[in-house]
Amino acid sequence: MSEVESVSETPEMPTGQFDLDPAKPQAIYDMLREHSPILRTELGGTMIARHEDVEFALRHAELFSSDMDAISIGNVRPLIPLQINPPEHVKYRRLLDPLFAPKQVALLENDVRKLSNQLIDDFIDTGECEFNSAFAIPLPCTVFLRLLGLPLEDLDLFLKFKDNIIRPETREPTEYERIQAETGQEIYAYFDKVLDEREQQPRDDMLTGFLEADVDGNRLSREDILDICYLFLLAGLDTVTASVGCMVSYLAQHPEQRQRLVDDPSQIPGAVEELLRWETPVPGVPRVVAEDVDLCGEHLEAGERITVLLGSANIDERGFPQPDNVDFERPANRHLAFGGGVHRCLGSHLARLELRVALEQLHERIPDYSIKPGEEPKYTMGIRAVDYLPLVFTPPS
Amino acid sequence: MKVRVDSDLCVGHGRCYVLADDVFEADDRGHCLIPNEDVPPELEDKARVGEQNCPEHAISIEE
Repeated sequence: MSEVESVSETPEMPTGQFDLDPAKPQAIYDMLREHSPILRTELGGTMIARHEDVEFALRHAELFSSDMDAISIGNVRPLIPLQINPPEHVKYRRLLDPLFAPKQVALLENDVRKLSNQLIDDFIDTGECEFNSAFAIPLPCTVFLRLLGLPLEDLDLFLKFKDNIIRPETREPTEYERIQAETGQEIYAYFDKVLDEREQQPRDDMLTGFLEADVDGNRLSREDILDICYLFLLAGLDTVTASVGCMVSYLAQHPEQRQRLVDDPSQIPGAVEELLRWETPVPGVPRVVAEDVDLCGEHLEAGERITVLLGSANIDERGFPQPDNVDFERPANRHLAFGGGVHRCLGSHLARLELRVALEQLHERIPDYSIKPGEEPKYTMGIRAVDYLPLVFTPPS
Repeated sequence: MKVRVDSDLCVGHGRCYVLADDVFEADDRGHCLIPNEDVPPELEDKARVGEQNCPEHAISIEE
């Protein structure tokens, strides 16, 4: 009996027994909304699952705060801008938003396409690849290093940094926080050193831009810049890796949908949006209750940690008619895969560009990819990276 | 038809001007601008697409 069937026989899930299969989270989301729209768990805090409650929490930063109390990730000061509350928050977004606006990220398109093709070149002749290590990891990480003006040989160091923070290799809570805190210090030290170098020798890159930036008539402090870089490292690498992995895994398992994109690449932008909705690679975002509030008939207390389940909201029929129908031409798609409210993902437009270009090149060059027979993809908990995705396809003759 | 954006609600998802750039434009931060709130008949469908894809429900249409 599958996990889903076993739970659906009981009217309510027991508190704390929240068990989510990261390969197929949708059935659990459906059950949560139906039976436990507010669920208190031991590890993930309080889950909020219904579309209207998710929208409410995202749009009321004064009640559901994204500050440092919402999650521990090895940092000693609030990450900028994610962990800064309004009204101060907007002064940082005014600086950062233009750098990541669609018009600005469009300048990277040729570079992203060239990089995608180079990565495909490296495995195309063999007719198979492990997609996560061959494409999903190096694409966004290389784009990120180039954008910040950091050396590509530091790629492995960055991967270690973000993995140690996002998924430390231990289940023991004290050890978990120790690894995060230690890695946090290494991240601060790394960027501090690079910023020293940029002060001595300015370059045409984003880090130099931060050193020269003007915020309400003031320069950013060194700590401000470190707090921005720390967030970029955590937010910019893993999320796009997970997203392209989730999308390619879905398409490899749904050949008729994959063929749609091969036959008509103009459907790719719509497919990116619809797969962001259906897969929601970042399934939830952390918040902390800032003042006592009632939500969906439950009393939430100040200080309570919340996980706002974007993935559940995105398949709620109250927000999306026929939510289980993955329709690349869905006419109204107000998905919340990038969150919502003032903390809407700063990198969303860069992510969209990378995802679209990746799907365009993959469907042009290895159109008949599928999961390697006898194998199955493996997903991580939390951010849904597909950290094992074996593909086969016809190599060029 | 008139189309409006509530700039207090817009947070720059950018769906409107990506899907319907005849009706919606972006400011420097990537937030929505509507140069002409009066929508000519041939652009009414485009305006609806923008409205229906705004995750913040920041766009409203008056017919």
